[in-house]
Amino acid sequence: MIILQYLFYILIFPGALFTIAAGLLLAGIDRKVIAHMQKRIGPPVAQPVYDFFKLLGKETIIPATANRAAYLIAPVVSFVSLCIVMLFIPILGFRAIGGAADMIVILYLITIPGAALIVGGAASGSPFAGIGISREMVTMMAYELPLVIILLTVAKKVGGDMLIFDLGIVSAYQAQAGSLITEWSMIPAAVAMLLVIPAEIGTQPFDVAEAENEICEGPLVEYSGSPLALFKLSINMKMIIMTGLFTALFFGGIRTGFVITDLIVFVLISTAVMLVCITTTHAITARLKIEHLFKFYWTVVAGLALVSAVLVWIGL
Amino acid sequence: MIKKMINKSASKSPWLFHINTGSCNGCDIEIVACLTPRYDAERFGFKLAGSPRHADILVVSGPITVQSRDRLIRTIEQTPDPKCVVSVGSCPKSGNVFKGSYGIDGPLDKYVHVDVSVAGCTPKPEAIMEGLYKAAQILEKKREAMSK
Amino acid sequence: MIQHFPVLAVMSLFLGAFLVEIFGTKREAVRNAITFVTFTLVLILLYALIKPVILEGRVISYWMGNWEPVAGYAIGIGYEVDALGLVFAIIAITAFWLSNLYSFGYMKGEHHLGHFYTLFMMLCGSIIGFCMTGDLFNMYIMVEIMTFSAVALTGFNTDKDGALEAALKYLVICSVGSGFILTGIALIYLQCHTLNIAQLATMLAGRLTPTTLMSFGLIVAGFGVKSFMVPFHTPLADAHAVAPSPISMVLSGVVTKAGVYGMIRCIYILFRAMDLTQMQILITTFGTVTMFLGVSMALKQHDFKRLLAFHSISQVGYILLAVGLGTTLGLTGGIFHAANHMLFKGLLFLAAGAVLHQTGGITDLDRLGGLSKKMPHTTICFLVGAAAISGIPPFNGFASKWLIYQAAYTKAIESGNFYYLIVTIAALTVSVMTLASFVKITQAVFFGQLSEANKDVTEAPKVMLVPMYIISALCLITGVGYKFFASYFVLPAVNSAVNVTNYIDVMMGDGYAAAAGVSNMAADNVMISSWSPVVYLILFVTVLAAACIVILASSGDRGRVVEVTDKDALKHSNFFSGEEPVYSHVSGSDMLWGYKHNFKAYYNIMDKIHTGRMTDYCSMVVIAAAVIIVFMFMFMR
Repeated sequence: MIILQYLFYILIFPGALFTIAAGLLLAGIDRKVIAHMQKRIGPPVAQPVYDFFKLLGKETIIPATANRAAYLIAPVVSFVSLCIVMLFIPILGFRAIGGAADMIVILYLITIPGAALIVGGAASGSPFAGIGISREMVTMMAYELPLVIILLTVAKKVGGDMLIFDLGIVSAYQAQAGSLITEWSMIPAAVAMLLVIPAEIGTQPFDVAEAENEICEGPLVEYSGSPLALFKLSINMKMIIMTGLFTALFFGGIRTGFVITDLIVFVLISTAVMLVCITTTHAITARLKIEHLFKFYWTVVAGLALVSAVLVWIGL
Repeated sequence: MIKKMINKSASKSPWLFHINTGSCNGCDIEIVACLTPRYDAERFGFKLAGSPRHADILVVSGPITVQSRDRLIRTIEQTPDPKCVVSVGSCPKSGNVFKGSYGIDGPLDKYVHVDVSVAGCTPKPEAIMEGLYKAAQILEKKREAMSK
Repeated sequence: MIQHFPVLAVMSLFLGAFLVEIFGTKREAVRNAITFVTFTLVLILLYALIKPVILEGRVISYWMGNWEPVAGYAIGIGYEVDALGLVFAIIAITAFWLSNLYSFGYMKGEHHLGHFYTLFMMLCGSIIGFCMTGDLFNMYIMVEIMTFSAVALTGFNTDKDGALEAALKYLVICSVGSGFILTGIALIYLQCHTLNIAQLATMLAGRLTPTTLMSFGLIVAGFGVKSFMVPFHTPLADAHAVAPSPISMVLSGVVTKAGVYGMIRCIYILFRAMDLTQMQILITTFGTVTMFLGVSMALKQHDFKRLLAFHSISQVGYILLAVGLGTTLGLTGGIFHAANHMLFKGLLFLAAGAVLHQTGGITDLDRLGGLSKKMPHTTICFLVGAAAISGIPPFNGFASKWLIYQAAYTKAIESGNFYYLIVTIAALTVSVMTLASFVKITQAVFFGQLSEANKDVTEAPKVMLVPMYIISALCLITGVGYKFFASYFVLPAVNSAVNVTNYIDVMMGDGYAAAAGVSNMAADNVMISSWSPVVYLILFVTVLAAACIVILASSGDRGRVVEVTDKDALKHSNFFSGEEPVYSHVSGSDMLWGYKHNFKAYYNIMDKIHTGRMTDYCSMVVIAAAVIIVFMFMFMR
């Protein structure tokens, strides 16, 4: 029975199926809202689902220069490792598997899909992919610094004089003391986190790695068919994971008492976060250059996060 | 069930790859016009893809110059099945005013089966939209034929 | 019986060195047999010590020639093996055993191999002796043997460009370091009239007179040179670039660790100064600077082995940072990272060696590429090593770095010092920069396009692949079972570094420490981590299995996979905007442009500092040593 319960957790509710469904939903909403912002009608909300299934039906052409094994395994690793991350993020009050991984571990777990994308891109042997993975890596370096500072700031705010990296405790603390977003000293960190999310997911203006009209979608250039579907799905899943992480870190204090309503509120907040940080920035900005992106993150965003860190450190 | 879903999706999410084979740029800006808010091809799921490996519909404009011929053939080959080829404008169909020129090695159907041909110099965005929509329907049929 | 094992281990290595020189210069089979048997024997001897020393916590002492202490004064040379020394000795012998196996394939056909193995075994013997001795001057002698054999091995390929220069640099800088250590020891002897570490520990602890403070500064600087921390890091890059790969593996995996071991032994046991806040700040600052400078220089390199060399520097920075925190958690992370670093960096150097060996000596990242199709096994091993060093869960690099982050952050909270928060952030950021430089190698060497020159490259011979696969497996095992390794392998070493009284009593007789008023450091063995690799792996396998079932079940419905049957078919050619694909490999120098552009000013300064002139480097060493000593005199009296 307990095994069945955990299988349900892993494969259906906070795990694979939920992450896929929520990710596709968020991606659909994202495209619809952007269309409306640009006074278009836009695709149906289910469009990412159609895209996914259509890609499954396409041929998978293996390029002559590719390393077949790495080329085919990388998307699966990316997809599988993302399915698991959601289990460690508390959905307001509910948490499927506690104590197995905390904030810093999650930080590393969400680099695995990035690394898989890089390995897959490199394995395809295309020079476009080579440039793409170089940019992807620089983007990763760029947002990692502010993300680290944000997580340590949250840990300090929640833990005080104790070492608290556990997201469950972060959530429990907020249930008692109110969500962290209501603390004014945490607002710079929250803004920094909002800026980190689009870079992590790779949407405009931070989509330098997958610039489709410049380097032909970078690491994905040679991918077709099912592996491409898995990579595109991974990007959609990252949306719910990153916005969910934001919700857990800054809106963790909201409780409704029931898992179902918790879940609905969680998805709603995540959607709202996505509309602010992904959709709006996507609709109103053009792509940055890679060196500007790096500079932006290591000065402005890291600076914002550091302001919060100092404020929290001196006890505000 | 998965098969049904895949077949159904084939017509709902056609991604375009645009090849200019010596076009005067007239058709190209009309294709771009299809993506603007006024016509909004994205409501049918059309999207410009960055690489032929991702594409379902290859949109060819221009009278196939000698220089672009090999590139055209290679790009069409690189596109995974099921795929459709749509010619936009009169040039790929007949050569238009360039017909007979030493630099032209057309028409397009010498090299590849053209699924939909949108005529006109230049065709209106509405016409292009309809052509693309038809191509999407053909795509679904091709997918069904493939999955049998 | 068991107390003879340490001395037997050291002696059999030195004896083996002589035997190789006498019998093995001509015949390969004899030579290989002698080295393999000796290393295996020593491996067994040292692993037999695990049970009594590490698990049961005994300290084994052995007086040379039975010269036991007279009236509380140690006269003879004593060997004393506690868990700290044994852990480092085991790290050393494991690395040497694997490296020896690898060198059978790698060094085949080179000239003067008799001399090679002689030096190789002397290097191993000296390091094991260094880790096990209880005598300060004996420690110095072992350091000298280690340095000189390492220098000779670095310049072993004398026909290679820059080999002699690198060896000379190594020799000069390390001799300066040895000079520091010797002067420090002389000053201690002047003050205390004894050289036994256990006895000195009772005399020096907490009593820092100007003389001992001076010697302390000199010894820290000296072992800093041996561990190649930052102002002293200069010879390492050149040395690794020219040394044969098995030597690179032990240089980075073991020789630098010997410096770290010396540092731990001196600071924690000899002077017992780790409680001092200033000492902690000094060592962590050196650690952080080393960590950052190493990785940022590595990002700029375009030579395979030089790049790895700078990563050794960077990882030693991690270890020093952890050791310098002065907490048991930090020390656990540091020693665990030392063991892990030996594994994954050894693996990376062996993979680099395989590439170099098979391509005929190319290490330039701009001339390699696409080797994964020709050398699939090497690629797998390299990817495992790269994932481990960049701290990707669930490999071992993540486990030990994870302990280090926790230690640094705990320190920041406990001391309330913002400085340690910066250190934690730096440690976390350096990790992703490490990943970046390995992405660079992965693309430049193993993936991408195969150049015409490397068309006929073949996979490395089995004798080279076997050690690589062994280490790959160890990387995964120590990563998944990190709690087991940390508590049964590393924690005893930490406890022995903290519990000095036991160490002193075994050597000098019961009650000696108590009589001298030495007490143990407070051990707070807290392992606060909620990272469970086993759970992660179970989840991963479950989801993977489910995904595989779905993938297989739907394989009839999905689009087919078009395998490459004809390499020149248009369908499989790379997308080149429609053009005919040409050789166009994105090589090492082309990568990470956005980062390099922003750090231009920093790199200009670094280029000015790394002049390559020995005089400059020597003055850097002397100035840094002076800074350490001045710092100690100003803040630690």
